[in-house]
Amino acid sequence: MSIIYILIPIAILFVMIAIGVFFWAVRGEQFSDLNKQGHSILFEDDKEQHNKSND
Amino acid sequence: MSNNCFHCLESVPSGFSATVNIDGSEQPMCCIGCQTVAETIVSQGMTDYYKFRTVRAGKVQQLVPEQLAFITSYDNPDIQDEFISQTNDISEVLLTVEGITCAACAWLIEKQLLNIPAIKRVDVNTSTNRAMIQWDKERTPLSELIKSLMEIGYKAYPFQADIEASQKQLVAKAYIRRLGVAGLMTMQVMMFAFAMYFGMFSGMEENFEQYFRWISLILASPVILYSALPFLTNAINGLKAKQLNMDLPVSLAIFGAYIASSYATVMQVGEVYFESICMFTFLLLLGKYLEFRARLKASEFTANLQKLLPLTARTLDKDDQEHIIAAKKLKLNDRVLIKPGETIPADGVICSGTTTVDESMMTGEHLPVKKYIDHQVFAGTVNHDGVITIEINKIGQNTLLNQIIKLQHSALATRPKLVEITDKVAQWFVACLLVFASLTAIGWYQVDPAHAFWITIAVLVATCPCALSLAIPTALTCAVATLTRKGILIKQAHVLETLPQLTRVAFDKTGTLTQGRFSIDSVDLLVDSISKQQVLALAAQLESYSEHPIATAFNMYTPEQRHLYDINVHPGLGISGHDDNHHYAIGKSGWFDNSKCNAQATFYVDKQPVANFYFIDEVKDNTAPLIASLQAQGLTCHMLTGDASSAGQQIAQRLKLDSFKVGCLPQDKQSEVELWSKQNEIVAMVGDGVNDSPVFNSAHLSIAMDTGADISKNTADVVLLNSDLAAIEHLLIVSKKTRRIIKQNLALSLLYNGSILPLAALGLVAPWMAVIGMSTSSIIVICNSLRLLKL
Repeated sequence: MSIIYILIPIAILFVMIAIGVFFWAVRGEQFSDLNKQGHSILFEDDKEQHNKSND
Repeated sequence: MSNNCFHCLESVPSGFSATVNIDGSEQPMCCIGCQTVAETIVSQGMTDYYKFRTVRAGKVQQLVPEQLAFITSYDNPDIQDEFISQTNDISEVLLTVEGITCAACAWLIEKQLLNIPAIKRVDVNTSTNRAMIQWDKERTPLSELIKSLMEIGYKAYPFQADIEASQKQLVAKAYIRRLGVAGLMTMQVMMFAFAMYFGMFSGMEENFEQYFRWISLILASPVILYSALPFLTNAINGLKAKQLNMDLPVSLAIFGAYIASSYATVMQVGEVYFESICMFTFLLLLGKYLEFRARLKASEFTANLQKLLPLTARTLDKDDQEHIIAAKKLKLNDRVLIKPGETIPADGVICSGTTTVDESMMTGEHLPVKKYIDHQVFAGTVNHDGVITIEINKIGQNTLLNQIIKLQHSALATRPKLVEITDKVAQWFVACLLVFASLTAIGWYQVDPAHAFWITIAVLVATCPCALSLAIPTALTCAVATLTRKGILIKQAHVLETLPQLTRVAFDKTGTLTQGRFSIDSVDLLVDSISKQQVLALAAQLESYSEHPIATAFNMYTPEQRHLYDINVHPGLGISGHDDNHHYAIGKSGWFDNSKCNAQATFYVDKQPVANFYFIDEVKDNTAPLIASLQAQGLTCHMLTGDASSAGQQIAQRLKLDSFKVGCLPQDKQSEVELWSKQNEIVAMVGDGVNDSPVFNSAHLSIAMDTGADISKNTADVVLLNSDLAAIEHLLIVSKKTRRIIKQNLALSLLYNGSILPLAALGLVAPWMAVIGMSTSSIIVICNSLRLLKL
């Protein structure tokens, strides 16, 4: 069971990373509009016509 | 094929037929505007918008060249200073975009803008209706970006963030960060807490338990020292102001238990309560954040309103050459040219031309005021029909508009406030808690000194007012959500608590009790040769060319389909035109003769008076029932109007108001309301004009109409989005229901705290029992609050 002495600090490290990522996301305004980000996956960004107009 | 426009879902007018091919099928369009927009959307490959939008798009209005010229003025560097910030080559601007309704709009706008190569980043926020754009100003001017939004049917203008709004954004972000830390960490702490709970039943190795305690301490520390810190600072601020607020018992429990648990960990004695205080912090922050967010949404909505003063002004130099400059660069004695329909940029005296000016945003009265040479005009008012040149005599802080705004700010500092129910409860709760905790400590010290400290801590944790602190924010959040759905925006937290205690309501007249626009009261025929219908039809046709506010009174009469030519608008007089046989004119009485009659308009055929018109500002349909119902509830109703005419008295008598005062300056309204509040009355003010904004801050509660001036909406605690007075009654119902729910919540949570207290004092409550009891009581309170959503 002594493996737990190593595993738990590693788990804490992961939580720290998660918090870091979370803070980064807050700074990037990702939480200022919860409505939009949830829908963003529905839209196709790379339709053929679209690429043409980018040229 | 359906008869509704595919883009805006409005019905297609008969005779108009246009279709756009969207994803392989022809779809009908209702107007050229919608057609152009839909074609742009298709050609850019953005038809996903139609697939995923949840709210219909607004009808597209086509631009007139003047608007285009106005947009181009945003490229003036002097003007850009106000809303563009620059870092290296990248400029950043915040645009308020009208017509964003759902996530699909946000996607469409981002897609459209990212097509422009100069753009580096676009971020559309659908809850604030704003778009943040970072781009290279040198490659594409701002006006091009705004025009590109117009192509897909959105109107945009630069947003000037005020300090208050940006501070609120910072607070919102801080809340999210604290909430995130508390959430993530509480999960971990709970995990170890559960291990220790099981250890308590089935035994656990001594060194494991100690290890878990240390881990819990490490994980709980950020929650307590970062997430829960605002509670402590609030409690200390309260103490400094000699007030016991709800944050005090909260901080006592959180920080008391944290310190004791840390001591227990280090010294290897007693019990630890890390999971309780972490969960408590998380739940409480969540409740507070949701309440904050509901109000933030409301205040962001009103912050989008356009500023009162124009950004640009047209100055004339010595050779009468026009120059467009930033309005804030105007100097005293500058000569400024103002065209019809433009907003006057600074106070000044007319030095050439005559016109009528709409001062309704200043005075609340919609009848335009005639202005001749040497008359004073005020910044923020709208020039109606004449071209005038004014010489600036007051700028910046000295303009009448800014004087009113100053008055409003100074009133804010002395605004009357009611003691909030939370604070009342907190005061005796804290007192009881301290007394009980010390009794427990003293009692146990006599019996068993070794356990006295730990049992006192258990009492603190068990009585931790978690459900009690959630009782009010959750109820308020649900009530605010319900009201927002009904078009009632609540901007301040105190609104729902103040409402049930109201004793007086004061109304502004024009635009609040009345429609704020004119309708024809009576027509006096002066000759027999023409019928009333004919007069109205002819007058309606002439007035359809006029932009005078009185012209709208004729809208409901079908215009004559006669061919008129030589239509002329005579500033300050009226409008005239010819057909093949006769000369027609409608305008002020005594235009062509010297008759002294008090009609507000006269119709002339061949310069002979034919009919006199009398206008009235109609009372809104639902005003009378509202006043009656308010009076039935024991509220006294008053009218404070800036209008000095007899109309005020008539309306007050018709509506059976308890009292009325006419000809009020903004200061008069203020002193009237202040007098009432000195007599211990709780006063609400309902209004819509700029002249109402100072009094808004003198009243306990202020309610603005959506049709009102932007500044009054910014100041008010409540905005009625449909400008419907009946909403006030709904507001009262919801606030009373909210009060009832809050009382139930308080009773429920006190019941829990009261029943666990004796057990804790006897030393029978283990940490796991405290956690279960606390979460259950919180969930019961939250569920009770949710009932408000069903109203």
